[in-house]
Amino acid sequence: MSDPDKFTLALPKGRVMEESLEILQRAGLTLTLNGKGRALRFDAGDAIIIEMRNSDVPTYVDLGVADAGIVGKDVLVESGRNVYEPVDLGFQACRLSFIRPKGASGPVRRVASKYPHIALTYLRGLGNSAEVIKLSGSVELACLTGLADGVVDIVQTGGTLRANGLEEVDVIMQSSARLVVNRAALKLKAQTLRPLITRLRELAGSSQKTPI
Amino acid sequence: MLGAPPEGTRFGLPDEAAARVRIVTTLQTLFDSWGYALVDTPVLEHYDPAHPRAAQSFKLSDRDSGVLALRSDFTPAIAHLVRSHFDENAPQRFQYCGKAWQAINPDFARTREFTQVGLELTGISNPRADAELIHLAREAVREVGLVPRVELGNPGFVRALFDLAEVPEDSQETLANTIDRKDVAGLEEMLDSYKLSPDLKAALLGVADLYGDVTILNEARQLAPWPETLRALDDLEAILAEFEDLDELLLDFGRARRLSYYTGVTFQAYTFDFGQPLLGGGRYDGALLPYAAGFTIGLERLLLALPPHGDYTPPLILSLDDAGARRLRAAGYRVERGLFANVDEARAYTLARGIPYLLSDAGLEALTKNKPEYDDLLNLLEANYV
Repeated sequence: MSDPDKFTLALPKGRVMEESLEILQRAGLTLTLNGKGRALRFDAGDAIIIEMRNSDVPTYVDLGVADAGIVGKDVLVESGRNVYEPVDLGFQACRLSFIRPKGASGPVRRVASKYPHIALTYLRGLGNSAEVIKLSGSVELACLTGLADGVVDIVQTGGTLRANGLEEVDVIMQSSARLVVNRAALKLKAQTLRPLITRLRELAGSSQKTPI
Repeated sequence: MLGAPPEGTRFGLPDEAAARVRIVTTLQTLFDSWGYALVDTPVLEHYDPAHPRAAQSFKLSDRDSGVLALRSDFTPAIAHLVRSHFDENAPQRFQYCGKAWQAINPDFARTREFTQVGLELTGISNPRADAELIHLAREAVREVGLVPRVELGNPGFVRALFDLAEVPEDSQETLANTIDRKDVAGLEEMLDSYKLSPDLKAALLGVADLYGDVTILNEARQLAPWPETLRALDDLEAILAEFEDLDELLLDFGRARRLSYYTGVTFQAYTFDFGQPLLGGGRYDGALLPYAAGFTIGLERLLLALPPHGDYTPPLILSLDDAGARRLRAAGYRVERGLFANVDEARAYTLARGIPYLLSDAGLEALTKNKPEYDDLLNLLEANYV
């Protein structure tokens, strides 16, 4: 059995990692990246941090390689992974929307997205049988070039859309960063993870206080 | 081109295959010692669109245009067996072991062909029966060498809250899943759209966090002090009262999967440093039989959670002497028959295969420096020559 107080935390590279570390430190964890260098797996003090692409976080947490992680709700829903998501951390706020060229009124026959599952569920919910294609880069381009009749993508300020003559037709979901926790770890490492969840909820906003 | 076997299926090499037999034997011996009789059920079943996992079944067409499916679990078949051969209103204990198939998306890195070892206790519904199953779930994990933690829940608690809150039928599943994921932020958003008393709203919000050791029963009583919810808590407490020690038991009232299927206690077993449940089960009275409960162990999961096996060892002796080989086998030794007439070739093969002794016309030869069995083997061979 490993140290019961130490847990493994899956974090996405880049800005989310910085924001995550900041809120975790404010929640009372001692975490330092001093000496991390280019290591992908690093003992940061109160937790072992593993660094990865955001879309891999739900996989690592569901399969129990990481005890907990931080990932956007959009990526989490797209993954379909079965994990606990006890805290809405509030940062990385954006919305996932259905986007079309401004004024478009033709039929929606093909939709491009980095979120093919969400796009498919959304379209089928509307009774639309459009083809969904997965793209990895800037999906707005699919609309501009005629590759697709619409795209499902995240919108933060809407600036990119306006600059490219696109408009939000429908908001599919709101997204923000979530603390996700492995189902077994929440129960077996409760003495570490439960207080962390309580403190993160207090920091993240008034609404999610533990009612007991 | 060799290719790979179908997605989600794999070969079991000697070491793993031997470990499987060892683990299965351990579990079957345990269940048998509690009176659970081993039964067999067909791999081929009639396709049932009403089965909860019907969408994930591997289907085959029968020659008379009927549709068959590979079994995806054993519970319906055991229920069928009980209904057709036994008294469904008297206690019956059965265990099973075999492969099952689910055509799930291979992207999820789960196997689509897997082995289930499990048991069913039918014909009776009381706390004593529930406790027996939970105890056996705990013992099963312990017997294979892992430290168990068994988590209990009662979906009746969430169902009672839904009834009290008059949650519309069509949003019950979404709400249950939100609770099950402990997504308190999402839960709050959903609950805002219902007109609820503050007490009821607090209870529905709080149920996601009602997990921990048995002391949370008291928290649950304070949070949801209505007769309907208290009854669900009393049911669980009656099961706990059957146990002498509660150390390895945990509770979670936010377990809200398959609300309409499970009618009583549900449980899963975990072990430390392994992120997935090793087994799961519960009580489902009325679904397939008047009274039934059981649990299923995922054998492949269990093997993953265990340390490397090292179960398979090559035979002790390679023999070019059939008479000698017979004597050694009769004494309980594992002897492989040499297929090369040339002793040098046979020796090279024996070494490559990791077999420690070579028996040929030249006598017994130890191929390793350490040869603890040498004298015993020689005595057996010589004694029998007389």
